[in-house]
Amino acid sequence: MPNQLTPQHFFRRRRIQLTVILLILIGIYWLSMALVNFQTMTALTQVPAGLIWLFKNFIPTERSLSYLSAISFQLWRTLLIAIASTICAGLFSLFFAILGAKPTAPAPYWHLVIRLGASLVRIIPVVAWSMILLFSFKQSDFTGFLALFFMTLGYLTRAFTETIEDLDPDKLSALRAVGATYTQCVFCGVLPEVATTLTSWLLYMIENNLRDATLVGILTGTGIGFLFNYYFKSFRYDAAGLIVLLIAILVITLELTSTKIRKAIA
Amino acid sequence: MLKVIGLDKSYNRQKQSLKSVSFTAKPGEVTAIIGPSGAGKTTILRSVNQLIRDDAGQILLDDTDIRQAKPAELRQIRHHIGMIFQNYNLIGPLTALENVLHGRLGAKSTLAGILGLYSTAEKNEALELLKAVGLGDFALQRCDQLSGGQQQRVGIARALMQHPKMILCDEPIASLDPKSTKLVMDILRELAQSKQLIILINLHQLEIAQTYADHIVGINQGTIVYEGPQRALTPEKLQAIYRQAPTKEVSAHA
Ligand SMILES: Nc1ncnc2c1ncn2[C@@H]1O[C@H](COP(=O)(O)OP(=O)(O)OP(=O)(O)O)[C@@H](O)[C@H]1O
Ligand SMILES: [Mg+2]
Repeated sequence: MPNQLTPQHFFRRRRIQLTVILLILIGIYWLSMALVNFQTMTALTQVPAGLIWLFKNFIPTERSLSYLSAISFQLWRTLLIAIASTICAGLFSLFFAILGAKPTAPAPYWHLVIRLGASLVRIIPVVAWSMILLFSFKQSDFTGFLALFFMTLGYLTRAFTETIEDLDPDKLSALRAVGATYTQCVFCGVLPEVATTLTSWLLYMIENNLRDATLVGILTGTGIGFLFNYYFKSFRYDAAGLIVLLIAILVITLELTSTKIRKAIA
Repeated sequence: MLKVIGLDKSYNRQKQSLKSVSFTAKPGEVTAIIGPSGAGKTTILRSVNQLIRDDAGQILLDDTDIRQAKPAELRQIRHHIGMIFQNYNLIGPLTALENVLHGRLGAKSTLAGILGLYSTAEKNEALELLKAVGLGDFALQRCDQLSGGQQQRVGIARALMQHPKMILCDEPIASLDPKSTKLVMDILRELAQSKQLIILINLHQLEIAQTYADHIVGINQGTIVYEGPQRALTPEKLQAIYRQAPTKEVSAHA
């Protein structure tokens, strides 16, 4: 049956398929816009005005520099929390990933249990984690730390598990054939093989958590997020703008550094 | 002396991969297992050091049954059985020297193994072994930066580090060029003779088996169809070893 299909037929069918998909997408867009009373044209005309307002008010001025020391202090704390939560979560994730990855799971059911657990943790977004943890731990840096910790734990457990599962299981068979114990297989075989990939994931998560830490801070009333919220609500937009600028600089610096580290260890 | 008696194995209920396999491999000889793809060569080899659990039979290495060994005993037995693979299975980011030292893991406590506490004597021995397989200059090179032939020789050095009685080789030359093939096979044959090792080797290439093996085990669809000296292998016997089941061949193409 498939050999009756000539190339012309195939490509015509492919074109028709693509057109239909495109039409469906446009249809869905218009339908949803109609439902929320959103008019594309008016919205577009409002964008420049909005941007101009933003620029006028959020550009840091000389006056905003007086906030610099308070801002850098909170930024520093936020960075530390992002790093600490990522590294803590990374250690736990590694432990869970070794137990949960198919080639290294002590028993097959561990794979299911840990996969399921990691999915459950991941289902809850970081915003929801912050709200839930606020009840038990009140407004403190620790709440922010925990919120980031749980979210990172979910992601990294999944990522680490998949990294270990990508390993050729025969490499572990080779170590078992030598007479190595389970723990020796893990430490002498699995860890050296996955170390660089895991480091990449950690660095990526630190970048990501710095951004999320800002958001979590707004919710938990700590760190740079709190300060942003505070300036914003007291109409000190220029100071809030300075915060955004500094976060952007920090994130970019972090990204450049981690790219360098990744290249160095690859 | 390795004696395999009446070994059975099925991975699933539909099909038996090994049917009462029996053969012998002597120290000082290269014993080659030959047969078509899917015949059960890898299954036999991995049963010998119990990387896979078979269903029934006996595997006697110097009269101890490997199949009956408790986990701690099995570890000791494995420590004295080297194994090399088609795709080398070295730990790529580690150096050749570290990979060779892994050959000592079976003799070490778990802690000493994971901390990499090797004695000076062990390190020197590993270095000597690398020199012996012609890789003295590559000892501190990452293994994933070595060529296939070089990696296979690191694999041999790792096996030798185990002070083995026997080396199992699963198609050790299938990914190598003719020059590396000769190098690796020469080393293996020389080892069998000089150290009186049992060399049990799965081979796809019939000419290599005929050149290097002393003893041949032919297998077809899980059944041993020939066992005997290399020179007694007649064309008729070869035909029996490489015979394909006709119905299967046709249905595979449909
Ligand atoms: N993990 C497994 N699960 C199920 N069946 C398997 C498994 N490994 C091997 N088999 C089956 O067992 C039979 C023997 O396989 P084996 O790998 O031992 O063959 P082989 O002789 O080594 O083949 P090749 O020359 O292609 O390496 C084959 O029919 C294969 O389909
Ligand atoms: Mg095979």
